Amino acid sequence: MNDYPQVLFKNRLPGETVTLRSYEKTGGYQGLRKALKMSPNEICELVKDSGLRGRGGAGFPTGIKWSFFPSKAPGEKYLVCNGDEMEPGTYKDRQLLRADPHQLIEGMVIASYALQATAGYIFLRYAYEECAQNVERAIAEAKAAGYLGENILGSGFALSLHVHRSAGRYILGEETALLNGLEGKRPNPRAKPPFPAQRGLFGKPTNVNNVETLANVSHIINHGPVWFQELALTIEGSGTKLFGLSGHLNRTTCFELPLGIPLREVVETYGGGIRQGRAFKACLPGGASTPYLTAEHLDLPMDFNPLEEVGSRIGTAGVTVFDETTCMVAVTRNLVQFFARESCGFCTPCRDGLPMVSWLLDKIEHGLGNHDDLCLLAKQVQNITGRSFCALAEGAMGPVESLLRLFEQELKDHIQKGQCPFL
Amino acid sequence: MVNLTIDGKQVTVSKTATIYDAAKEVGINIPVLCYAKKLLPYGACRFCLVQVEQMKGRLIPACTTPVSEGMVVTTTSEEIQKVRKTVMEFLLVNHVLDCPVCDKGGECDLQDLAYEFGSISNRFEGVKFDLPTDEINPLIERNMNRCVLCGRCVRVCDEVVGYGSYSFINRGFETKIATAYDRGLNCEFCGQCVSLCPVGAILPRPFKFKARPWQIKEVDSVCGYCGNGCTVTLGVLDNKIETIRFNDEIGVNDGNLCIRGRFGYAYVNHQKRLTKPLVRKEGQLVEVEWDEALQVAAEGLSNAQNGQGVGILSGARLTNEEFFLLKNLAKTIGTDHLDHSGGECYKGVSEGLNETLGVKASTGTFPQLESCDVILAIRSDFWETHPVVGMVVNQAIRRNDAQLVVVADKRGKLTKLPRARTLLTKAGYELSILNAMSKVLLDEGLAQVDGLQNLDAFKAALSEYTPENVAQQTGVDADLLKDSARKLAGAKKSAILLAYGLPYTAQSKELAAAAANLALLAGIPGRAGSGLYLCGEKANSQGAIDLGVLPAGNGLGAQQMLTAAGEGKLDALYVIAEDPISSYPDRQMVEQAMDKVGFSVVQDLFLSATAEKADVVFPAASFAEKEGTFTNAERRIQRVRQGIKSPGEAKTDGAIISALANKLGNTLSFTGEAAIFAEIGKDVPAYAEFNYHEIGSQGVVWGGETLAPTRRNLVSVSAEQPASADYHLVTGSALYHSGTVSVHASGPLAVMPEAYVELGREDAAALGVNDGDLLKVAGNGVEIQLKAKVDNRLPKGLLFAPYHFGNAGLNKLYRGEAVVAVSVSK
Ligand SMILES: Cc1cc2nc3c(=O)[nH]c(=O)nc-3n(C[C@H](O)[C@H](O)[C@H](O)COP(=O)(O)O)c2cc1C
Ligand code: SF4
Ligand code: SF4
Ligand code: SF4
Ligand code: SF4
Ligand code: FES
Repeated sequence: MNDYPQVLFKNRLPGETVTLRSYEKTGGYQGLRKALKMSPNEICELVKDSGLRGRGGAGFPTGIKWSFFPSKAPGEKYLVCNGDEMEPGTYKDRQLLRADPHQLIEGMVIASYALQATAGYIFLRYAYEECAQNVERAIAEAKAAGYLGENILGSGFALSLHVHRSAGRYILGEETALLNGLEGKRPNPRAKPPFPAQRGLFGKPTNVNNVETLANVSHIINHGPVWFQELALTIEGSGTKLFGLSGHLNRTTCFELPLGIPLREVVETYGGGIRQGRAFKACLPGGASTPYLTAEHLDLPMDFNPLEEVGSRIGTAGVTVFDETTCMVAVTRNLVQFFARESCGFCTPCRDGLPMVSWLLDKIEHGLGNHDDLCLLAKQVQNITGRSFCALAEGAMGPVESLLRLFEQELKDHIQKGQCPFL
Repeated sequence: MVNLTIDGKQVTVSKTATIYDAAKEVGINIPVLCYAKKLLPYGACRFCLVQVEQMKGRLIPACTTPVSEGMVVTTTSEEIQKVRKTVMEFLLVNHVLDCPVCDKGGECDLQDLAYEFGSISNRFEGVKFDLPTDEINPLIERNMNRCVLCGRCVRVCDEVVGYGSYSFINRGFETKIATAYDRGLNCEFCGQCVSLCPVGAILPRPFKFKARPWQIKEVDSVCGYCGNGCTVTLGVLDNKIETIRFNDEIGVNDGNLCIRGRFGYAYVNHQKRLTKPLVRKEGQLVEVEWDEALQVAAEGLSNAQNGQGVGILSGARLTNEEFFLLKNLAKTIGTDHLDHSGGECYKGVSEGLNETLGVKASTGTFPQLESCDVILAIRSDFWETHPVVGMVVNQAIRRNDAQLVVVADKRGKLTKLPRARTLLTKAGYELSILNAMSKVLLDEGLAQVDGLQNLDAFKAALSEYTPENVAQQTGVDADLLKDSARKLAGAKKSAILLAYGLPYTAQSKELAAAAANLALLAGIPGRAGSGLYLCGEKANSQGAIDLGVLPAGNGLGAQQMLTAAGEGKLDALYVIAEDPISSYPDRQMVEQAMDKVGFSVVQDLFLSATAEKADVVFPAASFAEKEGTFTNAERRIQRVRQGIKSPGEAKTDGAIISALANKLGNTLSFTGEAAIFAEIGKDVPAYAEFNYHEIGSQGVVWGGETLAPTRRNLVSVSAEQPASADYHLVTGSALYHSGTVSVHASGPLAVMPEAYVELGREDAAALGVNDGDLLKVAGNGVEIQLKAKVDNRLPKGLLFAPYHFGNAGLNKLYRGEAVVAVSVSK
């Protein structure tokens, strides 16, 4: 039912995990063979040319990130794969880990070679035990086949990969908190600078990438940057993207679709339209920390820049759709409660500010708010956004900021009616 | 250097500075809460947010953001003020605001910031915390309802103290600071977290409800305990030290203290302090007036002319000026028998270093340690003897990735520091390991041998000390030993640390010489930033050596004086600030000396075991009651200042010595410490360049930051074989005590109230001993009983007992050996 080229999901079969043999049959580890004949620098350049941007939410250009990495520095250097995936509405990495762990491993070996990393860690959400076992099995297979370990494919390059099961908190997805977690410390984010590339895991240069980001690498090596760019429907975009659908849709599964696909097509063709024939009201386009889009945005191409232009973000492309019967104040309150609970408690605006926002939304949702509360809410969004230590609090303000911007009337209705108008 | 503009002012600062540092440079004060000078950048409270032209769209934390060229910074604007107000409001959401009953009131950062940024009214009806306070221990009270989660306690305990008591627990709004398993605090009690807590969440219990901060008079002085020479700020109220305060702007210690400096002050106020002179009449010591006591003492000392005359034994806690007066007194009495600190332990400096390097002091300064790449500590006890230097080592490791190598017979705080490498040796073999390291450097051509004297003889003498031989003897891995030697020699800046003191008497000269030999081969002495640190245990151990409180000419040293006295050959003994019966090796010998000597005068704060046997006892003043200078273990001369008056009629050692000299007909009189200090310069050239009144808050270091050796002479030294037995006992310092004074201080006593013998789990299991059981320890023909302390610090067959508790009688067994062969039973 998906007519678009399948790259990351090309081996995916329902309920199955690709073994090494079937992975190799469809061209698996050819990218690695090719990469090992290139210089690390050539690989970085290739990835830069491909236009691949991070799939973990922040969308930083991967090749540029790699080019900052001190790959020539002596001593240990690490590549860390971020598979924390605790953003509400996001479950795409899990699909990849379930279906095709070798694709990640191949990507990691190539990335490690490009970065000259000496070891790699795959950091997985606590709930992804099945995935962890898949990856461990795949690591063993890859090692036995010479794709991992000492002297990989006779190239002289060595790499070991380790699976780490997270203790499981949203903040562990933040890359520096993740590094603390990997070290066995409390996962507060770390101050930057120094950036992980300078002083990361155990004080050594470290590069962190998302599962999906790394999974793309072997394909880019195999087919070249132009091919990759052309996968996207927008001119400036490149590659496919996994869209994890959820919410009030008829179909809530994960699809691999080209970047730049219009939101309408995602909702109607792939999501099968809104449940019970209702109307589309809004969606979170890329996870719980991205500002809402409304019906007026349905024809927007789903890609990094177009979404930023309308004040949102593509984030993880976990699209959560709300139908016309949904109270957006209630939705937002629910999200902020999540963020307030998941705040690591390190910095003041997030630790003490999010409960305050949550308390205000609670008040308004229950019809107990007044206009001062509304003003205060708007102020606190400003006072938190861009003031916190890491991006969690800022992300938490995404939905609130867009609630104020896009659903002002709905907020006012709560106040005027003295109760939630959707009750 | 980097140029930037802050609020229109041009600033040029080093490229490692933060915006906050740069602003401070030009007198612009950015409000901070979680920032602390001595801690790594953190950035949690968000008070210090500023605008940076080049980083538009968000506010930038000044305390964590490094400066960059051309930056244009605005530190106050309407927007910034608004944000700071909000941060204030957020912080007050759950704060109890019980300022009226909070000891921090008046010097609380939160109070000050609230005053500056806004009202305490709050638009948010959040919950106030109602957490129980932690007051299980007697020294530190924790009230987490007042905590603002700045993390300073967590960080200082980890980054500086290296203990790691605290951590954040829970998340979000529920976040709080807790100890392991959220139990009561049970730690080293150095009080660093008390010093750094910006609010009243961590407070010193002994000070609870004693005074408001503004009522306290602050007097900056030097800690009277160890040779670290920390600046302590006495908090005085009504002629009583009520607390020790924190000041990270002055002193060599950056505001850091150990439990002794922080909580060990109470002995000064102790009710058992001697307040009146005592003279023995009809067998009893009875209180008399000063004049009578001085008269009796003067007569006793002048009459002491039958045998070898008068011996003078001093402790190392007198000021330099008092040492000077004491030397003067010795001249007046006409005796050459003058010595200090048991006479043996400091020979590493006075002879070991002197023969190798031609100097009698550490060659580097403590602050330099922080930038050393490789640090070799001999004995794990260095942390215990000099805790705040230990903290510098910790920072060198954490901030600058220094490699620490510890040659030790047991594990300890030092060996637990990150990446510390421990060369765990059989007790008493440290010297062999140093020799073997020297041999490695010579054999592998890594040694810097230019200009070294005695190279060939030295090489020959080392022939037996191959790493393999020594490894076999000591149990240390030969490859680790070799690699450590290479690391030491290969480092740009490196340091060797060795502490000395009464419990470290054996082979003190030889061990220091071995360390100096190794240092020479590794190019350490005289190289900027590197140093060989030989650190005395007491506050003015170095001063005693500088001033020459040592046997003159053919004079007797401490051990010889005591032996002579015991044989009835010494006529009189004058003991100052020292309790040899409690602390010197070989108690029987000391007791016999005190019993047999014709006449004895003891001068001390308390009626010590030694004083009890004296004919005359003078009540002396503590460090807090006098003016003068101490010289710490890195040659830093610092001002000691009087905070309080002495109790009763007690007088400073200097005043007593002068009065006695007067009685004995010495008319030399010096008016005040400054005059004496100037006089010292005539005898001790290194001191001549300084003026007493110009000694500032950082002190002055004689010989410069890097003391240049005047000779480079290799001195062959060989190890004594410790006696072999099933069990070996070593003694040493415990972290909570220093010498025998701290056993009168309630703070240290609260944590370590009594003597003990420590043994490893394996031995404890074999002996069927549990923590707290009484153990019989027998050696040198004597048996004593000590409480057992079981842990995993000690290897099999090794026992450790701290030497501070005179009443435990440890020095009946310990006669100055490196290790005492003992038998142990329940
Ligand atoms: C609160 C928070 C949670 C995050 N969670 C995740 C996550 O679950 N997975 C992820 O890949 N990145 C997550 N990120 C983004 C990472 O910090 C980081 O940018 C990313 O792993 C980099 O990889 P990429 O460049 O390949 O996207 C999170 C960031 C924040 C601030
Ligand atoms: S923004 Fe929230 S999650 Fe991030 S450091 Fe601050 S408290 Fe922690
Ligand atoms: S007193 Fe010292 S050791 Fe104890 S918690 Fe505070 S800083 Fe840590
Ligand atoms: S107890 Fe004090 S130092 Fe520790 S986090 Fe709280 S306020 Fe900061
Ligand atoms: S005992 Fe030593 S380390 Fe402790 S505070 Fe005093 S001088 Fe400093
Ligand atoms: S002082 Fe800068 S964030 Fe706290």
